[in-house]
Amino acid sequence: MNPAQLLLFAIGGLSIAAYLFIVAAGLSLVFGALRVINMAHGSLYMIAAFVTVVVAEKLGAGLGFWTGLLVAVAVTGAVGALIEIFVLRRVYREEHLVQLLGTYALTLVIAGGVRLIFGSNYRTMRPPALFSGSLKMAGYSYSVYSFFMIGAAILIAVGVYLMLYRTALGRNIRAAVSDSDLLSASGIDVARLFTTVFVIGAGLAALGGVIVAPSQAVGLQMDTDILVLAFAISVIGGLGSILGSLVGSVLVGEVISFGLNSQYTNQFALAFVFIIMVGVLTIRPWGLFGAAEQ
Amino acid sequence: MSMVRRQARWLLAAAAALLVVAACGGASTSSSGTTTFKGTKKLGLSIAITGQSAIYGHAISQSVKLAVDDVNSKGGVAGYKIEADILDDATDVNKAVENTKQLILQDNVSVLIGQVTSAQCQATSPIAKQNKVILIAATCNSYQLTNEPDLINPYYVSVVPNTYMEGTSAGSLVGKLPNVKKIFIVSPRYLFGISETNAFVASLKKVNPSAQIVNPESTWYVPFPTNPRWDSTINAIQSYKPDLVYSNIFAADQQNFIKQALQVDPDFFKKYPMTTLSSVDDLNGLGSQYPLGMHLYMRAPFFALGNPRLDAFIKSYHDRYNEYPSDWAVMDYDAVQTWAKAGNAAGSLDPDKVLKQIVGKSFASLRGYNFTIRAGDQQANVGETVGTTSDSAGKYPFPILKDITNLKGDDILMPTTLMNELRAGKCEKDNNPTTTDFALCPSWKA
Repeated sequence: MNPAQLLLFAIGGLSIAAYLFIVAAGLSLVFGALRVINMAHGSLYMIAAFVTVVVAEKLGAGLGFWTGLLVAVAVTGAVGALIEIFVLRRVYREEHLVQLLGTYALTLVIAGGVRLIFGSNYRTMRPPALFSGSLKMAGYSYSVYSFFMIGAAILIAVGVYLMLYRTALGRNIRAAVSDSDLLSASGIDVARLFTTVFVIGAGLAALGGVIVAPSQAVGLQMDTDILVLAFAISVIGGLGSILGSLVGSVLVGEVISFGLNSQYTNQFALAFVFIIMVGVLTIRPWGLFGAAEQ
Repeated sequence: MSMVRRQARWLLAAAAALLVVAACGGASTSSSGTTTFKGTKKLGLSIAITGQSAIYGHAISQSVKLAVDDVNSKGGVAGYKIEADILDDATDVNKAVENTKQLILQDNVSVLIGQVTSAQCQATSPIAKQNKVILIAATCNSYQLTNEPDLINPYYVSVVPNTYMEGTSAGSLVGKLPNVKKIFIVSPRYLFGISETNAFVASLKKVNPSAQIVNPESTWYVPFPTNPRWDSTINAIQSYKPDLVYSNIFAADQQNFIKQALQVDPDFFKKYPMTTLSSVDDLNGLGSQYPLGMHLYMRAPFFALGNPRLDAFIKSYHDRYNEYPSDWAVMDYDAVQTWAKAGNAAGSLDPDKVLKQIVGKSFASLRGYNFTIRAGDQQANVGETVGTTSDSAGKYPFPILKDITNLKGDDILMPTTLMNELRAGKCEKDNNPTTTDFALCPSWKA
């Protein structure tokens, strides 16, 4: 493999990592603060993708994408708030299994709802003109949209970091991760904080859905496809750790990209992701950057 | 008086005969035009309403419902009203097996219509065989399903062109293209992809021995179902710079691949022309984004097969669903009608009696011709359409084909000698039936 091919496959891996990170970060954030594994996270991602495509169909690719982004985040955030208030608040004190079943049931309900509202057909949209076209580097063409996805993921990573470590809200979220009872005793409305965290998590799922919509067929299988990989990333990086999600996403993206390109590993590329996950679970069950449960 | 008595006897006899016919024979139609059925029987369909092939399952389920309604409006099958029993298998093999067991053992269906993927039909066919339920495949199409010795099922009927028919046709067409020496292959990693790709390669090498497949065989196949990002394949194509890309990826995979390739390079498919399996659903899914100039092979594109019966079907389908029927819709409609005609000819839903009315018999197809289910692999001699994507000039919200050739079923059907060799286990490595490949058959090598 020559340096040009190395660059080609590395950037391919980063573009995979980009949207995986955005979604996995939301999953991880929700687990860190609420201690809930949200199986419906992929459903929120799917809702956002459908909303974006529908808005783009009405307004055209350029205006439609940006308007779709706003509408999708708003709609998905609202759905997220409803889920937190009407479902999750009833299962916080239950075992993880009950939480899993509750959020799994939501995936089925949302899948049915999406089918009723948007239909079963795949939807498709173009990227905004600003991010269309390609760049030529070292003899290969690269999609400008791939760089946009990578850039958006970096911006979102910085935004989540600043929110967690430079704002009062972030301080409260980190306190809730450490001890939500103590936080409640200090006068913070934890129920409201949890709703806010879940809405932020839903918003991240939505951003992932919006960003992926111009580059993939938007269809009913999106929810489960993304959930499996996002979950693997969260486990590898450490559930609750945003840095872990970032490192896990890059690892998974590059493993898929390089794995698929080698004739020796092609048929095992996706299996490697889960082999890594099993390896991490065996050696460090709380993930590369997670904290062991006390 | 005796005249009156004689007339009364005749009337009684006629009334009795009518009663017997009504009790034993077909459905009756009252003077008000409503049909009276002997009862209701179920037609089972486990199909991908969700998952990778949801786009196909959607059309298939709609078409089957329409076909069943049409059958019932004409008196049902053997006097019974038919009810479509449709379950979602999420494009998953295990779910298809679970559904098939439910359809047969709990719902007591009289016939099964095949699933979307060959992997699913491979898993459900033995269940149908064990329970003696006819399974008519209209979408899954690996020739191994009807010819691999360990998969042979006397209750399995195929009304879709199989992978031999498609793969060898595509290989032969590509092999004859001028200036095409370097070919890149991309295909889904499961029975269908491997079967069709091997058929393509075997035929290509026969027609054009100097043609070179540029990517190693181990990289021909991509994970299935659903490979959301295609950067690696796109990058590899750019890297190998082939004269042509051959693909049989489909549904969401084909859409994702095309979209992402066009984002990398708007002229991607001009630089690397692609010959690929496609369908109306795939064209419709991408709409105006589907590249023009692509060389497609399709199973039953309605816009290329115009005939009065198909036109009526298109209208009926469009009126009911506000959509154009896909290839799958056309073929699955044929599948239901085939079974219904055979059931009515048999006057029974007994699978053995119905099967006798299917094998060796001819059926009218929406595709504009009659097809015959031959003995042996019970494969219909159905055709395939090839052409180049072209703008439909506003007639449809998706491109159509130009330079169309409708290949005839008899011209692409697997030769009987080859079929017999396959079924006799003469085309395997180390007597292992899972290695069945027609390219290993003595008559093909010769």
